[in-house]
Amino acid sequence: MKDSPQVTIEVRNIVKQFGAFRALDNVDLKVANGELLALLGPSGSGKTTLLRIIAGLDWPDAGEVSFDGENALARGAGERHVGFVFQHYALFRHMTVFENVAFGLRVQPRAVRKDEAAIRARVKELLDLVQLDWLAGRYPSQLSGGQRQRIALARALAIEPRILLLDEPFGALDAKVRKELRQWLRSLHEEINVTSIFVTHDQEEALEVANRVVVMDKGRIEQIGTPGDVYDNPATAFVHSFIGESIILPVDVSEGHVKLGSRVLNVDANGASGPSKLFVRRHDMHVGPVGEGAFDGTVRRVRSFGPIQRADIALNGDGDTLVEIDAPRDRNLTAGDIVSLQPRRYRIFAGRD
Amino acid sequence: MTLVTIETSTSAAAVQPFPSRVAPLARRDARTEPRLVRGIIITLALTFLTVFVVLPLALVFLEAFSKGVGFYLKALADPEALAAIWLTLVTAAISVSLNLVFGVAAAWAIAKFEFRGKTLLITLIDLPFSVSPVISGLVFVLLFGAQGFFGPWLMAHGIHVLFALPAIVLATAFVTFPFVARELIPLMQEQGSQEEEAAISLGASGWRTFLLVTLPNVKWGLLYGVLLCNARAMGEFGAVSVVSGHIRGETNTMPLLVEILYNEYQLVGAFAIASLLAFLALVTLIVKTILEGHLDEGQPASDD
Repeated sequence: MKDSPQVTIEVRNIVKQFGAFRALDNVDLKVANGELLALLGPSGSGKTTLLRIIAGLDWPDAGEVSFDGENALARGAGERHVGFVFQHYALFRHMTVFENVAFGLRVQPRAVRKDEAAIRARVKELLDLVQLDWLAGRYPSQLSGGQRQRIALARALAIEPRILLLDEPFGALDAKVRKELRQWLRSLHEEINVTSIFVTHDQEEALEVANRVVVMDKGRIEQIGTPGDVYDNPATAFVHSFIGESIILPVDVSEGHVKLGSRVLNVDANGASGPSKLFVRRHDMHVGPVGEGAFDGTVRRVRSFGPIQRADIALNGDGDTLVEIDAPRDRNLTAGDIVSLQPRRYRIFAGRD
Repeated sequence: MTLVTIETSTSAAAVQPFPSRVAPLARRDARTEPRLVRGIIITLALTFLTVFVVLPLALVFLEAFSKGVGFYLKALADPEALAAIWLTLVTAAISVSLNLVFGVAAAWAIAKFEFRGKTLLITLIDLPFSVSPVISGLVFVLLFGAQGFFGPWLMAHGIHVLFALPAIVLATAFVTFPFVARELIPLMQEQGSQEEEAAISLGASGWRTFLLVTLPNVKWGLLYGVLLCNARAMGEFGAVSVVSGHIRGETNTMPLLVEILYNEYQLVGAFAIASLLAFLALVTLIVKTILEGHLDEGQPASDD
């Protein structure tokens, strides 16, 4: 299976409307061959709709989808050779695990269908791949969630798909199983190397598993980049607030000066102007002696866990604003301390919505 | 204070070496009624069932065999009786098959697709249940009768609908239409269409997806619907009575014949036919119980 064909997927100007709701608004996306791509976004961002359109389970109102330059919209779902793994597995409940995996092989046109012995061998091979060969005779209802998900994957792989699509593959599993399956999917992808896209709303999952992450919101793509990229260099305010945890302060920018309330902050405007938002990662806020930072504040509460301590700091002169920062454990902080805060890395995005 | 409490409880335990003896008093469940009340309620229910269900059913068989097995068999072998049995079987076979197809189609459309008029369709499916069977029969008279909508044209072409098999089948099919659809709609809605989508994305055609995925998933519900549909089809009286014309030996179904024989004081004949219908009811009940077991399982694990 090492030499599975690797397909490039191209999506251009896809629009999809459900009544008055615009699920996808001019989406462009190119997925390189052999990639493992994550579509990440909150619910309603259109990520699942995009996946279903690529699979042929939904049709776009406008736009193009092509696999290796060939128009995919001219083909139905069954003719695209796409492996699709559903969020709730969608295993055939009245068939055994074996028959579930064999399904795609048995329904092939007579001319290309394998004989029974070849089908059995192939199913065995796939069950070995997902390490569940001992469950061949069971029914889906007798399996755990994690096992069902792996069988669903084996079933999708049976047809030797050109592309593998996974809709919230681990969404219905508990945290521990989810973590194990993440690692497993990662290594499985290295083994079979089929161009794959998975949908998730879990940023940790996207950042940990994917080669590249597509961040979506309200039917649009906000940013495409490597996990490091989207975390360190968020392209939009949405990405900054959606991925990782940030301190967000409403600021006003005029003539290159950034003001929080009436106080001018000692930071660059980054080209923004008017009402804006200042984004700082918690761990990028440096705590120093009074007067040395962009703003001063009073420590309200400190708690320590693991390698960091987290402190709530009320900004001086603006009693309502409470920011949560992460500081190293060796930085001595106690409630009541008056300190200064200086963002080491930050971003300013125009707009306040 | 604490010490004293411990002292007391220890001594109490010492005084009562068998504390479990007092337990039954405390164990009385809030939901269980006193024995007497339970007894009265159960007796009431059983008496009612005996008088209104078991006794009449037993009497049907008693009356049918009142003049001996020979008379009973002779009554059933009567040409009129045989014709009625045959007509009932044919009518049920055709109308149940029709409703099987229509019911599956309607349930499929309602459960798997979104379209305008869906609520209207769901309401219309229930119409035969809410309309009196006599009205259902009259509708067909209005459509196919001599002064009816299609009647004159059909008669001019020598096609007899009213007072013949076609009208009996139509009336029966109309009255029994909801059984299959009603049974399947909630089942299909609950199952959603993800399994079908999975089958299609694995390369199965629409027809094979239906045969291999949809149908097996609803088979117990479908059988259940067909069973009820069949029981009603064979037992239908009102609608069929209006359209049949009561032509002896030709357009009398079993329920109609029972009435005719009864009115003519041929009690053994009437109850002999009635006993067949009662027997059908008993078989239906037994099969229904078995099917319900499978429906509850949800997962036919004993399959294949």
